[in-house]
Amino acid sequence: MAGSVVGAGLIVEGEFTTDEDVVIEGTLRGTLTSAEAVSIGGDGVVEADLRALSVVIAGQVTGNVSASSRVDIQAGGRLIGDVKAGRLTIADGASFRGNVDMDV
Amino acid sequence: MAYASVIGSSAVIRGNVRGDGSLQILGRVEGDVGVTGDVALGPDAVVVGAVSGARIVIGGSVEGDVTASEAVVISETGKVVGDLAAPRIGMSEGALVRGSVRTDGVAAGNSARARVPASRSVEADEERSRPVVARPAPRPAANAAPAASVAASNNNAAAKPALKRPPPPPVIQAPRAGARARKRMLKR
Repeated sequence: MAGSVVGAGLIVEGEFTTDEDVVIEGTLRGTLTSAEAVSIGGDGVVEADLRALSVVIAGQVTGNVSASSRVDIQAGGRLIGDVKAGRLTIADGASFRGNVDMDV
Repeated sequence: MAYASVIGSSAVIRGNVRGDGSLQILGRVEGDVGVTGDVALGPDAVVVGAVSGARIVIGGSVEGDVTASEAVVISETGKVVGDLAAPRIGMSEGALVRGSVRTDGVAAGNSARARVPASRSVEADEERSRPVVARPAPRPAANAAPAASVAASNNNAAAKPALKRPPPPPVIQAPRAGARARKRMLKR
């Protein structure tokens, strides 16, 4: 059970900080910081810098993504921004434009 | 989950939350919350900003105006510092409210406030209603004592439009109950 859900149709603007999971099916603008997993659903739109344990992108993200564990861009997902993560997967059919920093 | 959106118990949002659908707040929002659906605030929820929605159930704390298109319900753990406006308002014992309460469901507006100079406990409202309350006072002071009746009629004329708007239903119902009771007494 996700800690926070930004449902379809909801728009959150500002600074979002949490210690729990976050699922975004709506729109988020600003910054998002979570100590747990962040998941952006197929209809989710994020115009924000993301910082989390792990990030799964199935929707649209514009902003830098930083994950202490991993970042997964799923098929249909779209990321414009830089990624800083230990592990990164980009599925076939995903779009991505930005730099990758994997701590090598 | 019954709610389309949830702001978790550890979540802090500094900014606005708006849009469609229902929303459950368990954490903290420092900004305005405005959705078309229902809003529920858990016992530990804190909102510093205005809250608007269809049906708003407050179990937590709100520092700001609460406006609902259907109803506002404040449960026993709820606390509101701000004005309440909704067609229906429910309050449980133990709920804390500091602000004006209006059940006509009209969106907050200064003209509507000025027409209702009812006794209120909020400092901000005292300021707003002061001109209305103060207006009749100088008239008897300016007029001589014999003109007191004229001043009184002036006061009534000034007071009538002010009292036109909120005819509280309990006041109307009370004489009916008394009339019934009187009829029963006469039958006996």
